[in-house]
Amino acid sequence: MHVPGCNDSERAGSPDYLILNKPRRSHPSPHRPLPSPVLRLTDLRKSFGPIAAVDGVSLEVRRGEVFGLLGPNGAGKSTTISMAVGLLAPDSGSVDVNAQGSPTSHRVRAHIGVATQALAIYDQLTGFENLRMFGRLYGLSGSELARRVEHALELVGLLPRAKDIASTYSGGMKRRLNLAAALIHDPPLLLLDEPTAGVDPQSRNNILDTVRELARQGRTIIYTTHYMEEAQRLCDRVGIIDKGRLLCVGTVDELVRTHGGKSLVRVSRGEQEDAIETDDPLHTIESAIAKGRDTSQASLPITGIRIDRPDLESVFLSLTGRRLRD
Amino acid sequence: MTIHQSISAAVAIAATDLKLLLRDKLDAFFTFVFPLIFAIFFGWVFGGAGGGETGKIELGIVQLDKSASATAFADDLAKLDGFAATRFDDEAAAKDKIRKGELVACVVIPEDFNAKFEGLFATGTGPTVRGYVDPSRRGEAGLLEGRLTELAFKGMTRTFTNTESMKKQLAKARESIEKSPETDPSRKFVFNTFLTGIEGLLADNARRAAQAPGSEGATTGGLGAGMENFRPVRIELEQLQQQRTGPTNSYEVSLPQGIVWGLMGCVTAFVGTLAVDRQRGTLVRLMCSPLSTSTIIAGKSLAGFVSCMAVQWLLIGVFAVAFKVRVPEPLMLLLATTCASLGFVGLMMFLAVMGRASDGSGGMGRAVVLVLAMIGGGTIPVFIMPKIMQTISGISPFSWAVRAVEGATWRSMSLTELLWPCGVLLAIGAVGFTLGAMMFRTHARTH
Repeated sequence: MHVPGCNDSERAGSPDYLILNKPRRSHPSPHRPLPSPVLRLTDLRKSFGPIAAVDGVSLEVRRGEVFGLLGPNGAGKSTTISMAVGLLAPDSGSVDVNAQGSPTSHRVRAHIGVATQALAIYDQLTGFENLRMFGRLYGLSGSELARRVEHALELVGLLPRAKDIASTYSGGMKRRLNLAAALIHDPPLLLLDEPTAGVDPQSRNNILDTVRELARQGRTIIYTTHYMEEAQRLCDRVGIIDKGRLLCVGTVDELVRTHGGKSLVRVSRGEQEDAIETDDPLHTIESAIAKGRDTSQASLPITGIRIDRPDLESVFLSLTGRRLRD
Repeated sequence: MTIHQSISAAVAIAATDLKLLLRDKLDAFFTFVFPLIFAIFFGWVFGGAGGGETGKIELGIVQLDKSASATAFADDLAKLDGFAATRFDDEAAAKDKIRKGELVACVVIPEDFNAKFEGLFATGTGPTVRGYVDPSRRGEAGLLEGRLTELAFKGMTRTFTNTESMKKQLAKARESIEKSPETDPSRKFVFNTFLTGIEGLLADNARRAAQAPGSEGATTGGLGAGMENFRPVRIELEQLQQQRTGPTNSYEVSLPQGIVWGLMGCVTAFVGTLAVDRQRGTLVRLMCSPLSTSTIIAGKSLAGFVSCMAVQWLLIGVFAVAFKVRVPEPLMLLLATTCASLGFVGLMMFLAVMGRASDGSGGMGRAVVLVLAMIGGGTIPVFIMPKIMQTISGISPFSWAVRAVEGATWRSMSLTELLWPCGVLLAIGAVGFTLGAMMFRTHARTH
């Protein structure tokens, strides 16, 4: 399983994750050991009354990795994330962040940045004031705080509107400010809970670019979304969770290969269309064409061929079912 | 995080909450402006309920000498700008009014006022006017002393510019010199010659005055100018220990009412702020930061405390300056307002965590607080409520805040007396804060 991340020499000495714009994302040498996990969940369990919201989730996410956590509503994503950031204490199991221990400790929480699905910003403050306020919660002050605020605003493209009250921002700008607030203390681990929910394509693009840049710099990112194509494009690995259980973890290709099912080859002959499920679409197409040339079988000439390959959505639906989750 | 960083973070949370309060026009209005308007309006409506004319210094005049000069002096005193004068026949009654805080001062014109005044030239000693003042109104007492001196000089000028009056003064002086056994004949001769010369001067002045257009005749003229630096009346002011039992003006009653509404504004604003924090996700962000729950609670509480203190002292400042509300013991008032603020911080914390959603706790908080404010003296002052309501009002933290503020203002409570309402407020604060903080800790981690 490939895990992109920074090499060990880069991590030696001072905490280099504090430098926001340092390019660090690189492919590890095959001869080097894999980077240590920044987030390790071990047999995590949490119940609310009789309902097991999280039921034995184990997971390791390594430095520099973008990990997509997908699941239908009520699958246990939020509970897992809440335990990962220390908001909830697990009934059993453990969470370890950056080899520092449980995030229920205040010290460990300083290593985590959270952009919640709800816009956790103050509407009556300016973008600048919001970030200053959140920076001070992490012990930042003076010129260091000013530098971080300016950099975070620049990263999400809000510097020109920094002095405007946040209530005057568009939905996309608020989302970007929400993301900037999670970055203000330069954490090595970022948890982004549906950061692109309800934003326009421009802001979405900006957010995805920012996430890619952050990953390139070596940050570990846990990313939840309902947009499968976003996860497919962005995530190094994806985990699908349902009913509190982690159903699968792997790269998108691995998951598609394992759980995506067969490709569908659609062969059109005039008004008629044949859909053929197959593991080998090319062979199926060749067969269809050969069949068309066979004059003994008085079939119509082929007018079109389309291949529907399985993707992450197929994997998701195949694992979690098509039943509505309200 | 170091302690310094935790304090800095708590201050950041408090500063943010205060900024949000001030930027929310509705909350800012109901916290700072409405209580002021309310208290001024009710002070105006109830104007005079406590006795006394607002904006003027209440002065009592006791005229024991009924002579013309004493009457003129008393009349001038009654007409002084900035004073609201009431006449008394009895010195003791006037002094009693000062002790009760119903008068700022009283002036006693003694029985020998005229006699001493007419003998001034002969004896060199004028009358002594006694005054009694409320020790908490030293500024007004100083003003009164100045005005009394001015009036005394005016009376003196009136006497000495009157030829007949002056002739009487000279005749008394001549008689006094003649009868004096210690004065030798040669000195008596010198004095008599001098007095004759003055009588000649008076006659000449009277003649000139009679010839002058618009003159009042031969009775004016006298010695005239040159008397300005002479102080013909001795003024003795004595401070009377107060024994107040009631407010001296209606604004002293409406000030605690305003404070009730101000505190109510603070409570509802901050209950709403915490609820919005919870709903918006900003509370989650706070909880995800490396701050302890105690630091977050401290920040929220600090904001509530500062806003409570700010609104109370804004009202006190405005009412003391504009409406002459007395603050006899500022430190006692500081104690009262501090205890009230701490009590209401506890109440805020409790109400804020009672509801889970913004609308829930905000709406419920407003409803609870409104009822408590109304029975606690927000609309009708507690001390004029029926007995049963006064008893019921004891369940309202607002009524204890009113008692504490009244105790430190017009009730002039001793420190021991003030400790009772202050203690109740602190107990309310401690219970509310403890329950609220416990629930906050529980709820915050199970959002």
